[in-house]
Amino acid sequence: MTRASDSSPRRGRLFALDDSNPLVPYLYLLPHAAFFLVFIVYPVGYGLWVSFHRWDLLGGQQEFVGLTFYRNLFDPSTPQSQFFWKSLINTTLFTLISTPLLVGAALGLAVLLYRPIFGRAVFRAIFFMPGILSVSVMGILWRWMFDNQSGLVNVIRQEFWGLPVIQFLTTEGWAWVPIIVGTVWWTVGFNMTLYLAALGGISQSVYEAADIDGAGPWAKFRHITVPLLAPTTLFITVTTVLASFQLFGQSQVITNGGPARSTQSVIMYITEEAFGNYQLSSASAMAFVFGALMLVFTVIQFRLMVKDLNASRER
Amino acid sequence: MNRKGKIGLALLLGALGTGGFILAQTQSSYTGPKVEITYLHGFTGPDRPVMEDLVKRFNETHPNIVVKATAQPWGTTWNQLEPLVASGRAPDVVVVNEDQITRFIARGALTPITPQMYRSANIDTNRFFKPLFETASYKGQSYGVPISAVAYVMFYNKALMQKMGVSKVPTNRAELLTAARACTTDKEGRKPGQAGFDAKNLETWGISLYNNWVGARMAYSAILQNGGSLVDKDLNASFNTPEAVEAVQFLVDLVQKENVARPNSTEEAELAAFSQGKVCFFPSGQWYLDRFEKTPNFSFGVAFPPRIGNKQDATWGGSSHLTLPVQRQGYDPNKRAAAMEFINWMSAAPQNLVWTSTGSLPTVRAVAQDKKFETQPISGIFDKLDSIYATSGFPWGGQVLGPFDGAWERAYLGKQPVKQALDQGVDEANKQIAQARPNFR
Repeated sequence: MTRASDSSPRRGRLFALDDSNPLVPYLYLLPHAAFFLVFIVYPVGYGLWVSFHRWDLLGGQQEFVGLTFYRNLFDPSTPQSQFFWKSLINTTLFTLISTPLLVGAALGLAVLLYRPIFGRAVFRAIFFMPGILSVSVMGILWRWMFDNQSGLVNVIRQEFWGLPVIQFLTTEGWAWVPIIVGTVWWTVGFNMTLYLAALGGISQSVYEAADIDGAGPWAKFRHITVPLLAPTTLFITVTTVLASFQLFGQSQVITNGGPARSTQSVIMYITEEAFGNYQLSSASAMAFVFGALMLVFTVIQFRLMVKDLNASRER
Repeated sequence: MNRKGKIGLALLLGALGTGGFILAQTQSSYTGPKVEITYLHGFTGPDRPVMEDLVKRFNETHPNIVVKATAQPWGTTWNQLEPLVASGRAPDVVVVNEDQITRFIARGALTPITPQMYRSANIDTNRFFKPLFETASYKGQSYGVPISAVAYVMFYNKALMQKMGVSKVPTNRAELLTAARACTTDKEGRKPGQAGFDAKNLETWGISLYNNWVGARMAYSAILQNGGSLVDKDLNASFNTPEAVEAVQFLVDLVQKENVARPNSTEEAELAAFSQGKVCFFPSGQWYLDRFEKTPNFSFGVAFPPRIGNKQDATWGGSSHLTLPVQRQGYDPNKRAAAMEFINWMSAAPQNLVWTSTGSLPTVRAVAQDKKFETQPISGIFDKLDSIYATSGFPWGGQVLGPFDGAWERAYLGKQPVKQALDQGVDEANKQIAQARPNFR
């Protein structure tokens, strides 16, 4: 029937019951594709459609409004333009501060807990454990810790150090401290675990060679550990940045976005527009603009990652 | 009377009693064929078994109606109700809360209940407290009846008041100011106005004010007391009228001028301070009642918030209402009649009395007279249950309350002067209302 060479795949007939059937690769893709279409492509498409209409489930007719809800974001007279960009700046600020902390603290903890010290397993568990709490538990805990009047932090400042009280929850700027400290405490264990796994992949012989060359602990960390962990660092940075941009629960529970919306994140504002104001079309439009910004950001990060990985392989 | 006679009399009385009981229970307004109706509510906490038990008793006493009840979190229902109505698959009876009800009415998701329908189901709407019943009214029509209610109240610490020589719970502005001053001392024991008084280091203080939405309900109450309101007759935001500004200014002055309330405080901090006996008056939701009752050796009382304004008594209230979602054409009229009987039974005094065991206020006047309340602290507000007002009546709840709560936060924290904070809130609310208006009828 066919005389297929070894290098090119055989092409069988449509009804062939073996691997020669041209549909075979697509059938392998089908299970994933079905879920992808139903749960990703369809909702995204539907959301896009909603954002171009004044979506009204009970009105019967869905009025087409084109780009109105997108234009609102760029018209300074609308509340949307005022709050959306403010919340985007807030979220970016959070990401810029929390990501280096989450990567740096995780690396530090991993290096400390990789060595065979006493109680290593216990400490690893202790640092990982907050991550299993729900965001509301973690949020209420840190809200109590940093309460303006009765919080532990202020009590210690006052009673032990004689320092004035800081109104953490109601002062712009300071309000980020409980959110960021809480987030680092909550999620650093996960990054630490990734680093611990990566440290296990570095051959001891490299360190032994460095010892023979007379390298100190700092030199070994600086010139062996850090470069060899680079792929892990990039992976952790990308995932942490994306997770930080999704900030929602911590602000919601700890400060409720206050004072004066100064800790309100983008996702919080989109939720407010959708389920507080019931402007679902407007909220969809914001979600798409935010999604587009994230996409651009992710592409840049992946470009950097590939470039850096290639560079480290050449080394 | 001999022994036999006594037993006979007892049996007779017993039979009469049982007969009367059965009669009362079977006086159903629904006499049609057996129907099944669905009932969706959000009582998913400790109140769930109480509601399930009531439904069970309804089914036992109404052989020709079967109620299938479902409990699911409120938020899920708010998101699902419109799609359910649009697809003609809405439950026959749904419980809707005060902050959502006008939105669903104005979106056309709920069926109006006419006076004729109330009459056929033997529901005398005067059995309910009036503002509570009207929470479910819009443009002159009623859309449901209340079955559960909470209110913003003022808790007071009896021991601290006694220590500070305050014998009367304040009921108006002047009394509140006097009592709050008497309750306030700094760390050195000095009173406000005394030389050297250190307002930054209060040991005890008069009243708890705080930054979140619950704290903002004190401002809402004060505005209503002063004859103001959140919205005007066109349902645009109007919480910056002179009456409103004056009322909120008084509250902010308690912090900034009188120094009888702590600045920059949170609900949690004030709650802790009140429980520790550091503050005389703690206005908040009645839902803290259970907590204070369980605190050992804590002598507290519950009062209606003092009248800060000069027009009327008023405080904020929340409530849950039995409603009839819009159904597809050709809906079985027997189901509607059975649903009305269910609403009648569930909102009647005996069932409402059972429901108050969950911590709800009475929604029916007769229930408030019940003996069981006489010794309970909550009865301190029972003479003013007719002055509790929900934040309802406008379809754009989020658009009004979000900016209002934000304005209170900025004014209380001293980030803006009161007038400016309220003006900015009204401006923000009205811009958002203008956008939302096309979605409503």
